[in-house]
Amino acid sequence: MKLNEGWVPVGLSSSIEPGTSTGTTIEGSEIVVWRDNSGHAHAWEDRCPHRGMRLSFGFVRGNHIACLYHGWQYDTAGQCRYIPAHPTLDVPQTIKVPIYRVKEKYGIIWTTTAEDVAIPEAEATEITPVRSLYVDRPIDDVFTAFMAAGMTSLHTNAGKVVRGDDVLFVAFQATAAAKTAAHIAIFGSAAVYRGAKQKHYAQWAEGLRFELEAAQGEAEVA
Amino acid sequence: MVCESFTEFALHRARRLDLEIRIVACDTSSATLSVRGQDDLVDAFEMACSLGPYDCIILDIERATA
Repeated sequence: MKLNEGWVPVGLSSSIEPGTSTGTTIEGSEIVVWRDNSGHAHAWEDRCPHRGMRLSFGFVRGNHIACLYHGWQYDTAGQCRYIPAHPTLDVPQTIKVPIYRVKEKYGIIWTTTAEDVAIPEAEATEITPVRSLYVDRPIDDVFTAFMAAGMTSLHTNAGKVVRGDDVLFVAFQATAAAKTAAHIAIFGSAAVYRGAKQKHYAQWAEGLRFELEAAQGEAEVA
Repeated sequence: MVCESFTEFALHRARRLDLEIRIVACDTSSATLSVRGQDDLVDAFEMACSLGPYDCIILDIERATA
């Protein structure tokens, strides 16, 4: 799913702590995902308007993110507010980073540029994050592999896996044409699922990845 | 110098820096531009022009105050 078609998962909420930033891609488009010190997550084009440096290499300063290169600071609306080399400059409104809509649901950060699109629906009150799994295979192949492993589709980029009494939620992100991220969470309290269950399902998902990538390797050899 | 490329580059940078700009003249060897705005941003514009777009080689810039 493209950014302008619906909500795209870009990471586990737990993996972006307040005051930190990281980079990801959606079908090759570079995105910075960062969380301000108030706890709100943001997803923007990963490019400083000044010299094109990735903002994901930058630093969060309060509720601003500062570019690593020359320290230009942007507020939560993407507007440049401070240029260290010109501290008294009235920064024009034209210096602004393209920003995207963000929601957090099921312990996952979602982003889109589309209006009137819904995040996949699932019944969940509490969430325990498992891991984001990065697979060198196209999203359709990864989705199909999870379906073969018992997943029920909830949307074109999300599904639910029931294993015994446990319910996993998996959201899929096409990071590039042949690369996929699967963001995995358990529906249930961390008091119950933290620790052994997290490890168990992380290893289960890693097993799926091994099978997927091994199958690709065999196909290439053949 | 590719005039079309340079003027497009200059207009884009001026828009980003919130400068008023007028293309006075442009040919294969030089361009004359008139810009108006905050001093620091005019300085930044001059720096951007000194780099230029990928298909233009900028050898020198002369700057005059109106």
